[in-house]
Amino acid sequence: MLRIPSHLEKTKEVTVTKEELISFETEVKARYENGTISAPVHLSKNNEDKLIEIFQYVHKDDWVFSSWRNHYHALLHGISQETLMNLIVRGKSMNVYSKEPKFYSSSIVGGIIPLALGTAKVQKMNGSKNKTWCFIGDMTFETGIFYESYKYAKNFDLPLQFVVEDNNMSTNTPTDKVWGGKRDVPGNVIYYKYDREYPHHGTGNWVLF
Amino acid sequence: MKYKDEIIRSMEWLGEKEDTIFLGQSVKYSGNAIYNTLKTLPEEKRIELPVFEEIQMGMSTGMALDGLVPICCFPRFDFILRCMDSLVNHLDKMQHMTEGTFKPKVIMRTSIGSKKPLDGGIQHTQDYTDPIMRMLHEVNVVSLNEPEEIFPAFEEAYKTDCSTLLIEWGDYYNEK
Repeated sequence: MLRIPSHLEKTKEVTVTKEELISFETEVKARYENGTISAPVHLSKNNEDKLIEIFQYVHKDDWVFSSWRNHYHALLHGISQETLMNLIVRGKSMNVYSKEPKFYSSSIVGGIIPLALGTAKVQKMNGSKNKTWCFIGDMTFETGIFYESYKYAKNFDLPLQFVVEDNNMSTNTPTDKVWGGKRDVPGNVIYYKYDREYPHHGTGNWVLF
Repeated sequence: MKYKDEIIRSMEWLGEKEDTIFLGQSVKYSGNAIYNTLKTLPEEKRIELPVFEEIQMGMSTGMALDGLVPICCFPRFDFILRCMDSLVNHLDKMQHMTEGTFKPKVIMRTSIGSKKPLDGGIQHTQDYTDPIMRMLHEVNVVSLNEPEEIFPAFEEAYKTDCSTLLIEWGDYYNEK
């Protein structure tokens, strides 16, 4: 299921296809397994349809913040396959970045949320029509830093749109078991569930460098 | 000029810049020494924040990514320990992680808590200058020991293309 709040409006048609996304990650997998990427990779799979739907709401001039599993977000926000693959091969999979389009990712749980709050604050101060999008996992959603940032953004009506991607796993820890349950996701947050296909990092196959 | 007057002069100089914004606790409401160094600035240049140091630090970094120069105020050095992920893992690693593409400029102010006439106690008077200098690689760390060092230090912090942590001494507000 995918839940998109009714206040959001589509800004474009996404031209990147599901097949292109899967093909890109398959190529990353191959390059990782043949030893040409000597840094961790966090591969996406099974959430293509949902992300393609979500990115119809993301304007090309919006900020997008993501985590260590960011390849799909980067491609869908307009970073070219060539640029992204170049970053990944140079060991930058966990911190993909771009000035145009505006994209930043971090491999520390929750670390991007205050950054996103800051860009959203400036957008509001400047009267900009653009938004800041912040993609987080279900464990990050449960952290205190999310709740404080969410509360501040909501109370000051900042253009910060959170997206919770729920695979119920943080690395290899099941979120619901360790928290003894999960909280309800607020209605103004985009939310979807999916089952991950790849492990937390790597491809599931032993790689010799 | 005296130590505190030099701080005020520096803040007023920074406050004249179009791209600066002052944020933190007691920047708009009185309650500690930092307020007394900012109270002459226009209200619209100051954003009072909740007590959420981790978010304050990261939020300042995000604001710098979008072109502002935040002057991020932490009333005491002890409180900076509450924002180490945003400071060490994010602000201080961003130039390296983005290969120089993003160079957020945040000017951080803090103070080693005063011991005279009142001793703030062990949780409010610590000097973490040495360990934090060893931890930070992209953020400049400057200790403000003498009045004449203050204005040039803030001037340099504004003109340089990286972030700076400036450490004041609470006791010097009265002594120097």
